Amino acid sequence: MKKLLLIVCLFLAPSIALAAVGCDLNDPDRDIARLFPASSGYKTVYLSIKTSGGEAMLQRVEQRLGDSFHGLYETIEVPYTLYEVHQGKEIIGYVHGVNQKGEYGGIQVFLSLGTDGVIKSFYIQKLTSKAAKELRSKQFGAQFEGLSLKDFQAYPPASGQLPTSGPLATLKNPAPAAGQDFQHVLRAVKKNLILMDEFVFSKKKR
Amino acid sequence: MNIYSVAYKNLLRKKTRSALTAGGIALSAWVLVTLLGFNRGYEQSLNRDIDNMGFQVLLTAKGCPYEAATLMLKGGTGLRYIKEGMVKTVTAYPEVERVTPMLMQGVFDPNKGENGAVAAYLGVDALTFPPMKRYLEFKEGGWFKDNNAREAVLGYEAAELEQREIGDKLLIPGINAEVRVAGVLKRSGTQDDGTIFLPMGTVQTLFSKKGQLTALGIKVKKDTDMDAFENRLYDLPDVQVVSLAQVKTTIMGLLSSAKVIVLALALIAVIIAMAGVINTILMSVLERYGEIGIIKSMGAMPRDVFKMIWTETALLCSVGGLTGILLSLATARLSEAAIRRFLPYTPHGALVVLDGRIAGFAFLMILAAGLLSGLYPAWRASRVRPLEAMRAESD
Repeated sequence: MKKLLLIVCLFLAPSIALAAVGCDLNDPDRDIARLFPASSGYKTVYLSIKTSGGEAMLQRVEQRLGDSFHGLYETIEVPYTLYEVHQGKEIIGYVHGVNQKGEYGGIQVFLSLGTDGVIKSFYIQKLTSKAAKELRSKQFGAQFEGLSLKDFQAYPPASGQLPTSGPLATLKNPAPAAGQDFQHVLRAVKKNLILMDEFVFSKKKR
Repeated sequence: MNIYSVAYKNLLRKKTRSALTAGGIALSAWVLVTLLGFNRGYEQSLNRDIDNMGFQVLLTAKGCPYEAATLMLKGGTGLRYIKEGMVKTVTAYPEVERVTPMLMQGVFDPNKGENGAVAAYLGVDALTFPPMKRYLEFKEGGWFKDNNAREAVLGYEAAELEQREIGDKLLIPGINAEVRVAGVLKRSGTQDDGTIFLPMGTVQTLFSKKGQLTALGIKVKKDTDMDAFENRLYDLPDVQVVSLAQVKTTIMGLLSSAKVIVLALALIAVIIAMAGVINTILMSVLERYGEIGIIKSMGAMPRDVFKMIWTETALLCSVGGLTGILLSLATARLSEAAIRRFLPYTPHGALVVLDGRIAGFAFLMILAAGLLSGLYPAWRASRVRPLEAMRAESD
């Protein structure tokens, strides 16, 4: 009987292994506690451009990004998961991730942000790339700490050229010979920050 | 005023009591209908999952089931294989309609999640695999051109996770090999949604497994004696035969113990509800003792009184039963989500399938049990003696 079940598992395994599509944290309880050690809990909010602002918001996001949404998976309907991190009743930060098409596979880039929109930490949850080890290293991630959307405004994802001045000028590509995934990660960070501004920070100001 | 409106008005005299009794019946009807729907839905989905595999018999190397766990845990190292020559041997059997070879390999990808995960790749034959999986449709692109092409076909969820479209490169981590995406499948609701298919020759080359397979999928001709065929396959050296019908029987067998327990609970719920019906109707009869006596003194026959009380029971059970059936229809998806949470393996597709036959059967069962419960109170009422009843009422 055990044998039969194992065989069933063998052929059903790929669907189990890859069933989690979207950009949720794999283990939110563990990850939020790691990213915000002072947190006492979190609230999960599900959002999309379609339901939050529709076509007008999509155009605004694309304009701010300096690149259009493209491909089968970057659409107005894509759901985003926002983790609102609490300490008691107070919100102390946010965790938000986006999917990004990489050169060799999907990239999931998460940012933890303070209530002022400044990056507290950077985390690549999943990455299929020749530069995976370097891009997931702590040293690479640490370069993003303290940056905010304002710093990324001068970055054009379409050309991938880093600005010559400002905080982004010092960002280092950890594996220049390993392809385009450094640029893809930067695009994901900028998109993530813009979406966070649209979903949370601008809304608060309004 | 007909007998139904009299019965209805009698039930309305004690609204809370009637509502609670009907609620009990509704709950038992809900359990019964959901269970019957699960019984049908699970089997249908399991059958569909097995049919969607495209073959009825799976041939693997002996000991392979235990190594399936190895594949998942260690990324496919140390697996046992069957020789590619087995394809010709099996194809020569007169019972065989088609054979498709498969080679599953896995690599540990440290960059998936916090602790890494195994990425699995299924090597399939470009000629024989697609005809066995006719239900698979492409969102874009198509199957590989040949068995040695550096190409991949991705199931819908695998493509979404890897953000791949046709023409894109896909990296196989661990062995650092690149393939091009030749096709992306539409969502099929099966295990294929999460699978990355590669041409057989490519997997054999990339993973240094020339001439080796992990499994053969066998589609047999109609009217084949499956038991005899399986016995013949066992004559082959070092193979394990898995009939998918056998897999289905095993899973259904495991599930049947759980079903018996739940069915027993459903029956207990029905019995408790019916005890409530007896209690409610009997109390109603005793409370109306004098009134029934007056009705009889005015010329009502015992059969009329019996009919009146029995109609009350039927109304109560009908209302409760219908409410329970509607509740089960409304909560079918919720029940399904709960079942998926608790069962270790559930097939794809709807797990709770409800239709008119199930609803009708459950309604008739509840009504029959209710009418049976109403027999005694109705009989007691029909036996009331007018003079005794009026004297008791005046006392």
